Amino acid sequence: MKDTDVLDSPNAIEFKSVTKKYGDVVAVDNLNLSIPRGKITVFVGPSGCGKTTSLRMINRMVEHTSGEILVNGEPNTAQEPHKLRRSMGYVLQQAGLMPHRTIVDNIATVPRLNGTSAKSARTEALQLMETVGLDTSLAKRYPAQLSGGQAQRVGVARALASNSSILLMDEPFSAVDPVVRQDLQKELLRLQSELQRTIIFVTHDIDEAVLLGDYVAVFAVGGRLAQFGTPEEILREPADDFVASFVGRDRGMRRLTFAGASDVKIHPLTSQHTPWQQWELKVEDGKPAGWIIDGRTIPGGSLFVEGGTLRDALDSVLSSPSGVGVAVDRNGKVLGLLKSEDVLAATEAERHRRYGVNA
Amino acid sequence: MNIFDKTWAWFTADGAWTGAGGIFQRVAEHLGYSALILLIAAVIAVPIGLMVGHTGRGENVVVAITGALRALPTLGLLTLFALWLGLGLVAPIAALVILAIAPLLAGVYSGIAAVDKVTVDAARAQGMTESQILRKVELPLALPLIFGGIRNAALQVIATVTVVAYINLGGLGRYLIDGLAVRDYPRMVAAVVLVALLALIVDALLALLQRALTPRGTR
Ligand SMILES: Nc1ncnc2c1ncn2[C@@H]1O[C@H](COP(=O)(O)OP(=O)(O)O)[C@@H](O)[C@H]1O
Ligand SMILES: [Mg+2]
Repeated sequence: MKDTDVLDSPNAIEFKSVTKKYGDVVAVDNLNLSIPRGKITVFVGPSGCGKTTSLRMINRMVEHTSGEILVNGEPNTAQEPHKLRRSMGYVLQQAGLMPHRTIVDNIATVPRLNGTSAKSARTEALQLMETVGLDTSLAKRYPAQLSGGQAQRVGVARALASNSSILLMDEPFSAVDPVVRQDLQKELLRLQSELQRTIIFVTHDIDEAVLLGDYVAVFAVGGRLAQFGTPEEILREPADDFVASFVGRDRGMRRLTFAGASDVKIHPLTSQHTPWQQWELKVEDGKPAGWIIDGRTIPGGSLFVEGGTLRDALDSVLSSPSGVGVAVDRNGKVLGLLKSEDVLAATEAERHRRYGVNA
Repeated sequence: MNIFDKTWAWFTADGAWTGAGGIFQRVAEHLGYSALILLIAAVIAVPIGLMVGHTGRGENVVVAITGALRALPTLGLLTLFALWLGLGLVAPIAALVILAIAPLLAGVYSGIAAVDKVTVDAARAQGMTESQILRKVELPLALPLIFGGIRNAALQVIATVTVVAYINLGGLGRYLIDGLAVRDYPRMVAAVVLVALLALIVDALLALLQRALTPRGTR
């Protein structure tokens, strides 16, 4: 592996030749992996390849069959399981909240177990509700009264309590609908930029892995670690055929996620309704409101928000009914238009740069 | 006078309620035996139900035992115990304890076992010890089913504890046995009415207690 800088830095968690067997079934096969501190490491792979088992061996919800797991340099078997678990947060796919306790008491669970007074545990819990973007007016509600997305936020807040430096997250966003999932993903990245915890995040979705991971561990069938590296490395140089097929046919598109679109020219709007061939962009209060053709208004495509990636730029062009992308600023106001030939030229330039060729 | 008028007359006769052998005394005896029996049965059934429900070990045994206990005829059991242990308080109490164990054990076991596995898994992953999981998660969530078992057991015991009168003990069963001996049918009807009323009142009180104890959020 080329990440010597990663391997040299202090690691929060290290798997050393860790194997887990259930009878004859090998769930995790001789796993060697160092998880860097303060980063998001994603375990990704198809179902049944040992991601959950690997995650749960860290906090001994599953005991490994052989090998050693170091947490902050200490074997995780050095302390009693319940004490080890209180030192790290855990978020599950189905939030797993206690239905008989209020939201604030659910979040305060671990501080209370650690002996914090009820009053200060609640104060901490209320602060954590704000941290994860939950209205504190929900504090006295019960889990059954929450939406799926809200319940997941409570799960995250509960895991953050007691200042646990390690967060284990097992497909935390896969049971919520795609729109809510995107919100939660963004929110997690925002949180992480503030908190810089060591997060191990399990998903079967390569897009989610690429979006969230500072590092990605790709697991293959049979509990084998197929590749570990940055998302970009994994997309650029899949270690084997398995990884190549897992990262899938959209690999080229996903790569564009790592390329900026600053080269792509944004053509100014020259009048309020700019004619572009026979299409006209409809603008209301400075914001795009669809395209007009032959007097009909047609909903627009995806918008390119300034500072976005080349993938966003390409998508704005491909999804636009007029074939012309619309660029907006962070407030949603129209900045101008993107032409497909400019976007394609930028992908060409990116490709040349990637392989060190001068165009 | 028909039987209802006669029964009414029995209820309103001088000294029917107070004094030796009066209704108050018999009700107190009846409740005393019932409480003792339920208490002993609970001491046996609750810990077993909690352990089996929590660990999942011994489930088959519990299901088989509760089924078998339910099939036992109480009167037969009582006769057997009386022959074996002699005519005292021990034989009927032992027989009725066995009767009460089945619904209690089934209620506690199934209540704990029915708690959502994800909730328990999450509680464990937060760092609760096994005993904390049992006390703070499983027990509160199992309360409705546990109370179902308690109420079942209480109804059965209150109805059946009348049999102890066969072996010369007190309780409302006295009116049945003594009434039968002298063909005093109004007295027997009165006994049945009293037992039924007592069972209903106790059940209602337990229902109130259940409501008070069941955590909000799960109601
Ligand atoms: N408790 C268990 N008993 C037996 N086999 C198990 C158990 N848990 C997981 N496995 C097996 O271990 C393998 C890995 O499972 P898991 O870690 O849950 O995969 P993933 O999270 O990647 O979908 C699978 O083959 C699964 O069937
Ligand atoms: Mg899994």
